Amino acid sequence: MGLEEKLPNGILLTTVEKLVNWSRKTSMWPATFGLACCAIEMMTTGGSRYDIARFGMERFSATPRQADLMIVAGRVSNKMAPVLRQIYDQMPEPRWVLSMGVCASSGGMFNNYAIVQGVDHVVPVDIYLPGCPPRPEMLLDAILKLHAKVMDEPLGPARAALKAERGERTELIPSSVRYAPRGAGK
Amino acid sequence: MTTTAVLAQAQQRLSNAELLADDPLWLTLIKVVVLFIVVMLTLALLVWAERRVLGRLQNRPGPNRAGPFGMLQSIADALKLSLKEDIRPARADKWVYIMAPIIGGIPPFLAMAVMPFGGEVTMFGVQTALQVVDLPVGVLVVLACSSVGVYSIVLAGWSSGSPYPLLGALRSAAQVISYEIAMGLSIVGVVLFAGSLSTADIAAAQSGGWFAWILPISFVIYLISMVGETNRAPFDLPEAESELVGGFHTEYTSLKFLMFFLAEYANMVVVSAFATTLFLGGGAVPWPLSAIADNALSSGYWPLLWFGLKTALLIFGFIWARAALPRLRYDQFMKFGWKVLVPLNLVWIVAVTALRVLRNAEGVTSGQRIVIIGVAVAVLVLGSLLLPGRQVADEEPQVPLAGSGYPLPPLDLTVPTPPRQRRTVRARAEQPREAVTASGKEAGDGNA
Amino acid sequence: MLDPYVPLVLMFVLATAFSAVSVLVAPLIGPRRYNRAKLDSYECGIEPSPQPIVGGGRTPVAYYLTAMLFILFDIEMVFLYPFAVTADALGLFGLVEIALFIATVGFAYAYVWRRGGLDWN
Repeated sequence: MGLEEKLPNGILLTTVEKLVNWSRKTSMWPATFGLACCAIEMMTTGGSRYDIARFGMERFSATPRQADLMIVAGRVSNKMAPVLRQIYDQMPEPRWVLSMGVCASSGGMFNNYAIVQGVDHVVPVDIYLPGCPPRPEMLLDAILKLHAKVMDEPLGPARAALKAERGERTELIPSSVRYAPRGAGK
Repeated sequence: MTTTAVLAQAQQRLSNAELLADDPLWLTLIKVVVLFIVVMLTLALLVWAERRVLGRLQNRPGPNRAGPFGMLQSIADALKLSLKEDIRPARADKWVYIMAPIIGGIPPFLAMAVMPFGGEVTMFGVQTALQVVDLPVGVLVVLACSSVGVYSIVLAGWSSGSPYPLLGALRSAAQVISYEIAMGLSIVGVVLFAGSLSTADIAAAQSGGWFAWILPISFVIYLISMVGETNRAPFDLPEAESELVGGFHTEYTSLKFLMFFLAEYANMVVVSAFATTLFLGGGAVPWPLSAIADNALSSGYWPLLWFGLKTALLIFGFIWARAALPRLRYDQFMKFGWKVLVPLNLVWIVAVTALRVLRNAEGVTSGQRIVIIGVAVAVLVLGSLLLPGRQVADEEPQVPLAGSGYPLPPLDLTVPTPPRQRRTVRARAEQPREAVTASGKEAGDGNA
Repeated sequence: MLDPYVPLVLMFVLATAFSAVSVLVAPLIGPRRYNRAKLDSYECGIEPSPQPIVGGGRTPVAYYLTAMLFILFDIEMVFLYPFAVTADALGLFGLVEIALFIATVGFAYAYVWRRGGLDWN
């Protein structure tokens, strides 16, 4: 296991954990797994109006070796499923999966023999995003909730036990509240 | 100032090489460490700046969540990459796979060590120059460093153990070496005018005028080839098409990938600093400000500022080109590098040498001058006449145009019968055909 | 006092130390979770097809040709630099010499161009 998981408990560990999680969420590079219509919305999110680069995520990497987040955008057919699993397996830890759209989350409108009924049959999913297709703002919302989940990640079994005991969770503050200009209307 | 005073002062000025020869070891060590730290900070800043500037050029903010104005973005990237799992594919050649990023990370720092950031200063009581080392062959050191960088690309691709990285690496390497020829040849003019291969001497020789104005074609060729050499847009097909597959760093994760990432940006910094040294006067202050206090703004620690600004301007040019220009296809820019830049360079070198020699040489009479110029013009004219013109093969048959000017479809088209029907048609044709009157009218296709 | 190359050696040592430490420490810092597919080569998600031994596979000849041409022109460049440094002293003689040299290389270059050595790579 990595060095980080062998550190003793204490304040130092809390700070290290926060730093590690902060760096992982600030620089989370998506792997392009745009399959169908949701891919268009993902591209739009990378465009100028909804700019995913604000969160440091504009470096989509085609190779899974340098990617952290796999956004499964679109319907996964039975033929594509082993490819999906292989790409997921080739991503280095720590990695997350966001299943974007109803087709990836549950098969969507394609309730038939050709489409995998939910990509969680193939890879473990961290956050589901419904929508057909979800608007870019919805995708950004899902990504921000995933960031909050990443900030909650414990750094090792000791921290995991501690966190479960204390029930600490990162608070989800909407961007409109958090980045509101100071002194704006109440 | 009177002429004698100026001359006296000129005699007192030591060249950078002489100043640096007296450096004690501890001062050299301090300079090396400071330069290393400055380059690393520049790289971190450059990664952030590229994303912000690219964003602004594309009408979007760029990273702005990671600290004020997103400035902590590079730190987050580096930290995240170091905490990723380190994968070594089973088919990768272990030691070469590990050596390739190490080899890639070293040359840019060596090249920065010979850049003349400025002139004479007094540092910690020692009279020295703002340069780590001034070799009499500084230019060759920089070129050698960029050549060694190609090794890291090719070794990375080869050692990854799979075909895509290998091909991506070969393409990348072929591009880099092609533009290295163009770059090296464009520098010959500068060396000719400066009379030395030492970077500090070249920077000092531009006190009469920057080589960017005196040798404009060299400057333009250098700018183009420096973009091609660093695999940047618009010449970044190996990086981009391979972005579909990753190129030579497909199989690299975590810190090894960070080494390649940094090496690419470090190469950008090196070629920009080199351009500043060769063409933009090094640390000299630009023209309107050089009139202030008789060029006082070029002495002391001021050159650091000017050098930094000029290099930053060139790096901004890199980012601007990436935002504004579409990507060239691989064979297009290889053709450009070999078929346009190399002959242009050679002709320009001969022209510049001829002009300089004809102007400076004492034993050349005006008759000889005219003969030489005449020979050169004749060679150029004959050469351009003898060059084979482009033969455009007229492959397509002429398409008949109707009166309205629109091409007509072929009028002699017969619809081919499908094979099975052809057999039955032939079988039916072999049988004796009785004239059946009723359907006989429709037996033909209406035209007969 | 010091050999002029010493600062370069110092810089080399520093850069090597930084690169080597980063690269060699990487496996220790990150997590490590084994997974059979992770160690396969990336081939867009399909099972990697058996390839001939690395380096013995088919490499297009065009890259070899480009590398050879690079060597030739690099040598030419290497000859041009000392000439450029001493061009003033050589005067007219040097000009004619270098023009002949460049013309000779130019003939070879024109030949390669006509024979298609500079095409599609």
